[in-house]
Amino acid sequence: MSGALRSLDARAEASRRAAGWRALALAAAAAALYLGPALLGGRVLSACVVLAIFAVMAYGLDLVLSDLGEVSLAHTVFFAAGAYAASMLATRAGWGGWATLLGALAAAALIAAFLGLITLRLREFVFSLVTYAAAVVAAAIAHNWEFLGGSDGIVGVPPLDLSVGPLRFAAGNDAELWPVAFALLLATLWLVARFRRSRLGTLAVMSHLNPRLATMSGVDVGRVRLAVLVLSAPVTGAAGWLYAYQRAYVGPDLFETYFLVLMLTAVVIIGRRLLFGPLLGTALILGQERFLSFGGDVDAIVLGGALIVVLAFFPGGLVGLWRAVMARAS
Amino acid sequence: MNLLQQIVNGVILGHAYALIAIGWTVLLGVARLVNFGHGQMYMLGAFVTWWAFARLGLPYPAAILVAIGGGIAVGLAVQAVMMRLTLEQNLVSIMIITLGFGHVLRGAAALVFGAQPQVLETPPSLIDLEIAGAWVTAQDLLIVAVAIVVFALLRLVVEGGRVGRTARMVAEDPKLAELAGIDVRRVYLGVFAFEGAAVALAAALVAPRTPILTAIGFEEVIVTFVVVVLGGIGSVTGSYLAGLGLGLFNALFGGFVSPAYTTAASFAVLTAVLVLRPGGLATRGGGR
Amino acid sequence: MSAAAPVLEAESLRVAYGGNQALDLPRLALGAGELVGVVGANGAGKSTLVNALLGWSRGRPRVSGRVRLDGEDISALPTHERVRRGLLLVPEGGAVFARLTVTENLAASADRATGRAYTEDEVFALFPRLRERLHHTGGQLSGGERQMLAIARALRLGPRALVLDEPSIGLAPRLVVSVLETVRRLVDERGLSVLLVEQNVRAAIEVVDRLVLIERGRVLAEGPVAAMRDDPRIIQAYLGEGAA
Repeated sequence: MSGALRSLDARAEASRRAAGWRALALAAAAAALYLGPALLGGRVLSACVVLAIFAVMAYGLDLVLSDLGEVSLAHTVFFAAGAYAASMLATRAGWGGWATLLGALAAAALIAAFLGLITLRLREFVFSLVTYAAAVVAAAIAHNWEFLGGSDGIVGVPPLDLSVGPLRFAAGNDAELWPVAFALLLATLWLVARFRRSRLGTLAVMSHLNPRLATMSGVDVGRVRLAVLVLSAPVTGAAGWLYAYQRAYVGPDLFETYFLVLMLTAVVIIGRRLLFGPLLGTALILGQERFLSFGGDVDAIVLGGALIVVLAFFPGGLVGLWRAVMARAS
Repeated sequence: MNLLQQIVNGVILGHAYALIAIGWTVLLGVARLVNFGHGQMYMLGAFVTWWAFARLGLPYPAAILVAIGGGIAVGLAVQAVMMRLTLEQNLVSIMIITLGFGHVLRGAAALVFGAQPQVLETPPSLIDLEIAGAWVTAQDLLIVAVAIVVFALLRLVVEGGRVGRTARMVAEDPKLAELAGIDVRRVYLGVFAFEGAAVALAAALVAPRTPILTAIGFEEVIVTFVVVVLGGIGSVTGSYLAGLGLGLFNALFGGFVSPAYTTAASFAVLTAVLVLRPGGLATRGGGR
Repeated sequence: MSAAAPVLEAESLRVAYGGNQALDLPRLALGAGELVGVVGANGAGKSTLVNALLGWSRGRPRVSGRVRLDGEDISALPTHERVRRGLLLVPEGGAVFARLTVTENLAASADRATGRAYTEDEVFALFPRLRERLHHTGGQLSGGERQMLAIARALRLGPRALVLDEPSIGLAPRLVVSVLETVRRLVDERGLSVLLVEQNVRAAIEVVDRLVLIERGRVLAEGPVAAMRDDPRIIQAYLGEGAA
């Protein structure tokens, strides 16, 4: 009896120690990932800032696509909403970085809530249809509405000022933005991991895999979908917020399907519901575009083609393909 | 802007919309498939028509046939790639794949046809006619006539006869249709080929009204959504009426309120329909 | 067992869902003009067998083995090709097209009818009830009428071998007897070969020539119905059914 207790104790101790090591290893990996681009600088650093931003953008869609199993085509709108809110509040109201961040999150969440409410009772493709329509219409509005800068967009976004009290911090170039982008990425990863362990995350997967069973277990599937959508939008919106500062310009080109196809590809190419999937997926895509580009039109064909090939032939993504190959080899 | 002119415009626009949407209607009604590459297939149809007409120097009717041929080829290719997913009814992957195809088509079109806007100056678009004080072109009348013929034929096919019956059986229960001796794969390929042909025909007829760019196609998708949802998903007659209604609405809205926001207004209509009668969407006729 | 070459024959038919062996059948044969009953409890593998014969499934099973129709190996053919060769399945619940009228349901079969197809008059002679329901849709029919229409649809296509999956399900006892007696008549008068898959052993035993009892995907017993009637395992199957 006491022997069994002692071994239990030892096991708990071992798992505590393992968790400690894991945390340490993660911290070391994070530090290396942060310092690498910072030391290399130049093109690599710029690419990494954009990579972090686009990965965060993709994580917003990841929650809806991988966990909820719905296709939202409105995440470009949330992205653009974050960027427009940030740039407008910064240029016209002179708000600082923290305030514009709140504005960006709120703008994305509000639009998501609106879309979620009108599609609350709709099933299957009608949700996707409405989100796609919303993206097209939002682009048309951004092109035409003077308040949003029309087709010229909003220029002259000031450097990102994240000062807190006496601590001064302003980021005006990629080197200075890198810590912010990296922190945003870490925060997003933490949020996604937490979401997957949360009650809402469990309900989302339940509603996805067996909506009937979920309904019979007393889960309001429509409400879960609304909640996940409204949670996911600010994630993508936050990416838009930082993108506004990184580009110093915001325009209707943010509604391009490029961003949508990029997000979708990033989410599915590595494998769904993998914490680092969208990050690695975004890295693959941006790596190709920045360092192995064949010109914009061919890149579009490559990106769209990758999306088609993965979904049609390797539904488990590259990880699924790797596992299948290994299973055959053994 | 006089009211009569706007109503005439609306009727023409309505037939154009109905024609643009008909491929999707059948796709949805028979195969329960959606195609987010619809707009880019429209764009491609417009460019192929332009290329065959202006570059190859083919007569306009021949150029239309070339565009239809291209549309069929693209439709078959898309469906062939998605066949397994279609049989599994994996709608999530299908939606994303069609979106991917749209992206590829746009990239390919930009590569082949360039970034320049083009104008498709077909012979009938140069003929102006006056009808009771309203001006139209022969191209406009052609759109109306072709739309009516296409819808009448489709209705005839769906209502009676072997093809319509087969389509409705697959629409209702593809697995049971197999037990009735139906090659479901061929039906799916046929339906997507029809989608490709129909949207190419629509593009060849409607695109001469405006300059064409590889970036077009998005408005056409919104129009298609509204027509399909408003007309009752999969309903041929409903689509025709919905197209006509939306055409009149857009013409009047564009003429008297704001031409820049017609797409947004269409979306408002779509939203209103969805919120007011979400139950109406559940009705899915087998193509009637 | 008929001495002549069987019309429908399955050999080493195995079906697995994932790693789960759902069916393992060394041999099953259906002779010309024979009515064979496959019985077993719910989940014994009856529907799995039926679906494997047709190459038809709503899931994604792994199927191996041979299926022959009139000596021709049809194992590699897709479902619709097997159907066109005359291997017809009336699935559980008398599946008909609910949105099509009775006329259209029958016309759909006539669209692909083979030389063996029954004429409309022959079908209506068997199921006079359907003639009164011509303009109703499949969804408006009663359970018994749906079952009749489902069989009628198969006859209009032209069966070489007909597989009936649980025709008794959801029907009143009187209707079960009537449907099964009609099937028996088709066998006796028209020489139709029928594989009757039934959970209702009591009803099946009254009409079939031969019985195959399966359990957990394997054949537990088989033989002429006269010999099987008093088989304790069959009686067990009865009792199990009574308990359920």
